[in-house]
Amino acid sequence: MADVSKTDDASRLGLGVQISVLFAAGGLLVSVLVGGTTLALTRQQLLETRGSDAAAMAVSNATRLSNQLTPESSIEDLPTIVDSLTRIGGSQRIIRVGDDWLVAPEMDRADLPASLVARLGDRRPGQMLALVRGQPRFVVGIPLAAFDADYYAISDLSEVEQTLNDLSYVLLGTSAIAVTLAALLGSWTASRVLRPLRRVREAAEAIAGGRLDTRLVAQADPDLDRLSDSFNEMARALESRIQRDARFASDVSHELRSPLTTLMAGVGVLKSRREELSPRSIIALDLLVADLERFNRLVNDLLEISVFDAGVAALDLTDVGIARFLEVTAANAGAVELRMPDEAHGVVVQADKRRLARIMSNLLDNAGRYGGGATAIILEMDDTLRIIVEDGGAGIPVGERLSVFDRFFRGSTGGRRTDDGGTGLGLSLVVEDLRLHNGSVWVEDRRDGRPGARFVLELPLPEVDA
Amino acid sequence: MSTRILTVEDDQRIRTAVRLALEEEGWDVEETASGEEALEAFSRMPADVVLIDIMLPGIDGFEVCRSIRRLGDVPIVMVTARSDSHDVVAGLEAGADDYLRKPFDPKELSARIRALLRRIRPDEGRPVHVQVDRLEILPDAGVVRYAGEDVHLTRTEFRLLVELATHPDRVLSREDLLERVWGYDYFGDGRLVDVHVRRLRMKIEPDAANPRFVVTVRGMGYKLQT
Repeated sequence: MADVSKTDDASRLGLGVQISVLFAAGGLLVSVLVGGTTLALTRQQLLETRGSDAAAMAVSNATRLSNQLTPESSIEDLPTIVDSLTRIGGSQRIIRVGDDWLVAPEMDRADLPASLVARLGDRRPGQMLALVRGQPRFVVGIPLAAFDADYYAISDLSEVEQTLNDLSYVLLGTSAIAVTLAALLGSWTASRVLRPLRRVREAAEAIAGGRLDTRLVAQADPDLDRLSDSFNEMARALESRIQRDARFASDVSHELRSPLTTLMAGVGVLKSRREELSPRSIIALDLLVADLERFNRLVNDLLEISVFDAGVAALDLTDVGIARFLEVTAANAGAVELRMPDEAHGVVVQADKRRLARIMSNLLDNAGRYGGGATAIILEMDDTLRIIVEDGGAGIPVGERLSVFDRFFRGSTGGRRTDDGGTGLGLSLVVEDLRLHNGSVWVEDRRDGRPGARFVLELPLPEVDA
Repeated sequence: MSTRILTVEDDQRIRTAVRLALEEEGWDVEETASGEEALEAFSRMPADVVLIDIMLPGIDGFEVCRSIRRLGDVPIVMVTARSDSHDVVAGLEAGADDYLRKPFDPKELSARIRALLRRIRPDEGRPVHVQVDRLEILPDAGVVRYAGEDVHLTRTEFRLLVELATHPDRVLSREDLLERVWGYDYFGDGRLVDVHVRRLRMKIEPDAANPRFVVTVRGMGYKLQT
């Protein structure tokens, strides 16, 4: 058999998740690029503006200072002059006159970048961005040409930093939103792209569940249309093949019924003339009778199974009083204890009585053949209705508790099927009959610690009908 | 004179084997191979019971059943090789009293025939005369009248009505009726009762769609309403 689909992919993520993640990653990348560029450009722009403002201010201040200074001016005269100079927020100034320094309240000359001081030593103006007292600041130095004096202006850039900080928060926020949106878009796209695949999956599940007539509707997209065409072709082939098989089994069973009728009538005549037969003939007749009976059951079971396989099994629902049903079943089964709650007497279920009876007879039959005979039939009711058949045999090994319901299952004891008179189909019919009733069946150990199997039938409890 | 059974079966081996088996049970058997042959034999000399295979060449079992039903109220047993319920209901609608699936045990067939031929059981508590509205039932005389006119019922329909009339206004479940009229146990086919009730209503009810006498009690069964 060719297994076409094999995933050796390291990522076990579904296609849908993968698409979403890819979209999100793309969103993130774009956000980072746009955000980073915006931040860098803004920063440069802000610093340039701020720098040229500060430089212009410094030049104008230095000029005014130079105009007001006289060769006699000493450091003591400076504060009054300086106070008249224009200031921009957060800027400070340091002025050197001769060997004296007029320092700002929060700075002194040691805070000035050495390279700038050296540059002014050569009587050249300069400006630079420097880390002063732990903060980036813009420092402008201008030598006053007419005097032995320098003017330094130090502008605070924390405002710029604050703006950039705010901006980066905003960018971070928008990035997060963008990534989320991208992920959502991804999952939406994925669901759109995967929708046809999901339909295929649902159709495949429906077919696997027995609805063989399931087909895909034609798709607008030519690629997808080919997929649905092939899928439908496969489903059609499968359906006709299964139906052919089922019809064959059904035809065979029907055809076998005619000779079986002759056989049973003929053997019936022999049975009623038993006393006229020789001892050897009687042995032969008994063999005939036993195997004819088994053959008959086998044909019936096969026919029933083929009806299920063809998907044409129909429920013939009637009202079944569950208490009376179990009482009669237990009475027919012989020495079987029946335990049920008192309230069971009012309970009427909608069920196919023939199938329900067959379920019970198959379970009791099974208990008789392999479990030393059924010991108890128990009815339990809570939100479901459970009918339990217990036997006193060896129980069913854990490993066989599912396969015991398979057709023609042979247990680990090997070949015990050969002379037990069973058809090998009883328990698989139980499963089918219950499925038709929306019920289920399983097997477990007896609860009382004694050896033996416990087959549990679970049926949905009917709506309480007034 | 022993009871005569007319069988219709196209398969020669089945026909012979079934005849042998029925004769073993003490019945007189007349076998026919087709519907035409059966109708001819029946009109020549009516049998006490007719056994009809549904799948016949020529006119089919349903038609044979309807034709014989027109000639009399003889008990008819249908034999079907198919398991779908359509055949069963169609056979009963055509007038059969009971049905069997192939292959059947000849003992079971004999038991069915005996049940259909059974007289009404003598019952101490049974009324001699039941009058409900314009419907009059005389169990022992085997007579049913509606508005003074005799109503012609088959033997099985009559027994069904008498069982209901024995306990007027008491609900009898399908299982009760199956046991009392057909001799089936609890697991008998409830459709036998349903189809016969339908046929009975056609004959005794002024309006079969809204029964006045034989009413359905949902989830429980049927009763004769006084």
